[in-house]
Amino acid sequence: MKFDRRLFFNFDWTLLVLILVISVIGILNIYSAGNSLANFRQETLYIKQVQWIVLGLILIGIVICIDYRFICRFAYIIYAISILLLIVVALYGYATHGSQRWIVVGGFFFQPSELVKLTIIIALAKYFDDHMTERSYSLKELLMPFIIVLIPFLFILKQPDLGTALMLIFIASSVCFFIGIKWRSLLLAVSGVLILVPFSWFFLKDYQKERIMTFFNPEDDPLGAGYHIIQSIIAVGSGGIFGKGYLKGTQTQLKFLPVQQTDFVFSVFAEEWGFLGGLILMIMFLILILWCLKIAMNSRDLLGLLLSFGITMLIFWEVFVNVGMVLGMLPVVGIPLPFLSYGGSSMVVLMTTMGLMLNVSMRRFILHP
Amino acid sequence: MEKRNGQLNGHDPGVFRKRFKIVFAVISIMICLLIIRMWHLQVLRGDELKQRSENNSVRLRKIKPLRGLILDTNGQVMVDNQPSFDIIFVPPHARNIDDVAYKLRNLLAARSLALTSEIPSLGKKRWFPPVKLDKNISIEKLAIIETHTADLPGVTVEVVPIRKYLSGEMTAHLIGYTGEISPEELKKDTNSSLSVGDIIGKDGLEKYLDQYLKGKSGAEQVEVNVLGKEIKVIGKIEPVSGYNVVLTIDAFLQKIAWEAMNDKAGAVAVIDPRNGAVLALVSKPSFNPNLFNGGISFDDWEELSTDPSHPLGNRAISGQYPPGSTYKLFVAAAALEEGLITPDTSFNCNGSFEFGNRTYKCWNKHGHGRVSLHRAIVESCDVYFYNVGKLVGVDKIAEYARAFGLGDATGIDLPREKSGLIPTKEWKLSRFKEAWQPGETLSISIGQGFDLVTPIQLVNAYASLANGGTVYKPRVVKRIETADGRILNTFEPELKSTLPLSKETMDILTRALWGVVNENGGTGQALRRKEADVCGKTGTAQVVGLPDNETARKRKIISAKFKDHALFVCFAPYKNPEIAIAVIAENAGHGGSAAAPIARKIIDAYFENKNMKNKKTQPLMAADERSQAGIHR
Repeated sequence: MKFDRRLFFNFDWTLLVLILVISVIGILNIYSAGNSLANFRQETLYIKQVQWIVLGLILIGIVICIDYRFICRFAYIIYAISILLLIVVALYGYATHGSQRWIVVGGFFFQPSELVKLTIIIALAKYFDDHMTERSYSLKELLMPFIIVLIPFLFILKQPDLGTALMLIFIASSVCFFIGIKWRSLLLAVSGVLILVPFSWFFLKDYQKERIMTFFNPEDDPLGAGYHIIQSIIAVGSGGIFGKGYLKGTQTQLKFLPVQQTDFVFSVFAEEWGFLGGLILMIMFLILILWCLKIAMNSRDLLGLLLSFGITMLIFWEVFVNVGMVLGMLPVVGIPLPFLSYGGSSMVVLMTTMGLMLNVSMRRFILHP
Repeated sequence: MEKRNGQLNGHDPGVFRKRFKIVFAVISIMICLLIIRMWHLQVLRGDELKQRSENNSVRLRKIKPLRGLILDTNGQVMVDNQPSFDIIFVPPHARNIDDVAYKLRNLLAARSLALTSEIPSLGKKRWFPPVKLDKNISIEKLAIIETHTADLPGVTVEVVPIRKYLSGEMTAHLIGYTGEISPEELKKDTNSSLSVGDIIGKDGLEKYLDQYLKGKSGAEQVEVNVLGKEIKVIGKIEPVSGYNVVLTIDAFLQKIAWEAMNDKAGAVAVIDPRNGAVLALVSKPSFNPNLFNGGISFDDWEELSTDPSHPLGNRAISGQYPPGSTYKLFVAAAALEEGLITPDTSFNCNGSFEFGNRTYKCWNKHGHGRVSLHRAIVESCDVYFYNVGKLVGVDKIAEYARAFGLGDATGIDLPREKSGLIPTKEWKLSRFKEAWQPGETLSISIGQGFDLVTPIQLVNAYASLANGGTVYKPRVVKRIETADGRILNTFEPELKSTLPLSKETMDILTRALWGVVNENGGTGQALRRKEADVCGKTGTAQVVGLPDNETARKRKIISAKFKDHALFVCFAPYKNPEIAIAVIAENAGHGGSAAAPIARKIIDAYFENKNMKNKKTQPLMAADERSQAGIHR
């Protein structure tokens, strides 16, 4: 491919800088979470996280070189591969804490469900781009997108990983709403879901039921599932306006917080940096999300629009659900906070989505060849 | 490729622009909701929650479970638990930490007692987690601390269960020991079921069966006051005790074997040839596993781990020894089964064997004269087996030795088993990049040279001949039970393979082994009992390999370090054997004189014990008969 100089001039430095700044905050925060005494197991996690970010940046470099339209030509193949990985997980996956989510390759743990978040966005973008209509979509026309989401949804639910499964639904629904659904179809779909929800209760695992019950009444079970929520709220609240200071969070350092480097990483941040720190971080996330939305709005074609819109919604929902959970507004489901939670799979996939975002952004002025 | 060529954005900007505005607004509002919630928690409720985080706190404390018991085959407890008292320091406030440290040191110094760990300096940190100041303290220390609790805020005594190894040194290798999990082990624990401070099995069965023995930690939520004193327990999840393990080991026989070894280094392995159940497994020198309770001291560890006699290794399964003449059984089996010799094939032994330009000696320098297979085994004639080995060749010998289970780990349910070594031509080529020398075949024919076996392999190989040709997997675990006695898992005999030998061959070999013990001129006559029921084979393994000339031999006698290893393998009774024993006594001299007497003590004790048990039941029956007779009268 001939190098187009406009690609360089149109490169979205703002987005890249935003990503880097938030990632650096993430590293500092993971360092703090692992800094407490008598916790040598997690001391070096921040170094690993740096490695994941560097790997992610390399992936960004690769992804932006290939026109996203070229990538999306293989949308269904990429989608199929990710489903295949889910099957591998179901058959040979590595299980921890009662759920089977990992593939182990040469000592590395990979979570295909993270990858699926991205591949369904690509597959949906491709589908709607191929089947563009001027009007809104009817339920019949949405059957294919429904199937595209349903397959990985069921696999991930089976693992079980309720958080990620719901995330797929959130992303796909956002995209469908955006592309336009007929009012009648929408009503039908919503009522269908409302009927199904009570039934789904019977398919939840005990620990998932427990979590949902404790969400409504955490003080009921202060030792078990409610413990997470209570300790998280105490951590966040005790940060006050200015926070306890970096590396000085007592909830964190005294190990009151559960999984403080992954799902509950925000409570560590909020405890140490207080309301002001949290506010700044939230504003940075808001800017990031709105910036991504702007990229979607300005994209050159429907494919780019849907791709970047889907990714934007992925980031938004993850931030909203994770922080909402840490603040005790939403039930505890395992969703990482983008760029802040420790985790290789999540970080690498996230960086790849950002690569696609930059990709769409820098090609916004190039007309179709 | 593109359907919408020329159309700028490929979509109607108007419709989407409106939708973008909506999404823009919705996202902003939702993020604002998060910020409002943060305001609520951190600004409005900030002081209240800060208070809660400071003086609460409600702490979550782990309750360690009791590890499962380990019992011998008759239900006798071999490993129990006992309480250990640890001093824990939870600094409630920075301002009085030095004060507490000062008081604590003074109190203990008055009775010249010391803490194992220093009270850490707080530095600039306002908070830090509980510290263990001392483990497994004496009653004296406990009394001092308990009477002064009011003066020592933050100091508490925690009771944790630790192991009690009732059979001590006797079963140290078999049972192993426990200890606090190390950083390396924590890193390896990928499914993060373990955490800092957990007690795990470090060696032996404690390690092998850790997942069964360890149980499940409970937790307790305790409210503590400003002094760090517990006020009340708010919630509790009871710990679940580990499973109990019943072994195939017979504590009585284990003790006999241990005592029979006296102060010799080496190993004894006793198994039941009918099913591979290990009845006793002794390794010497040993160590006191109770030293590891609540953490071994640095000095003790140094002493044990640097001891040149390696007391920590389990010689019975990981000691690799040249089999010496005990190997001749396998060479004979190969030769007979391949049809290369018949029981009547005889060779002349004049005390040495010329091969190439070297002389290979028989242990009896006067020679055995003309001997057939039976007498060659009975008298352990080396020259006979040089001849046979030459006929069979190294690879065929290896094939049969492997069929007996040598050269591969037996798969016994214990950690760190070694596989021994049965050489082949191919092995030597890949290991040394050198061709096999015909002379080396002669060495391995009498169990020298590259041949290496472990005691458990050796006893299992002989046991497979004893039971009529079945190679079982040796096992020490019989059953796993829950703490309340429900059987969780019973381990059945596991058949590994069958010997590729005809009944005839096995009979010839068994008869020869009987002769070793019960015929005049046999090398194993130390085992000759009035029942004449033992079959066995002696072995004397040279510590320094060939060549051996007269001066080297003399030197060996002088220096104990180079003295030969004594081996003896046997099984009994001759008909339907029910016990098989391998004894290896390091640097003890000849198999017949140094190892066989040890086996003798075990055999005698075994049958004596069995007869006593029978007698115990017989008089009862007799009494029963008598009473019946009485009624009749």
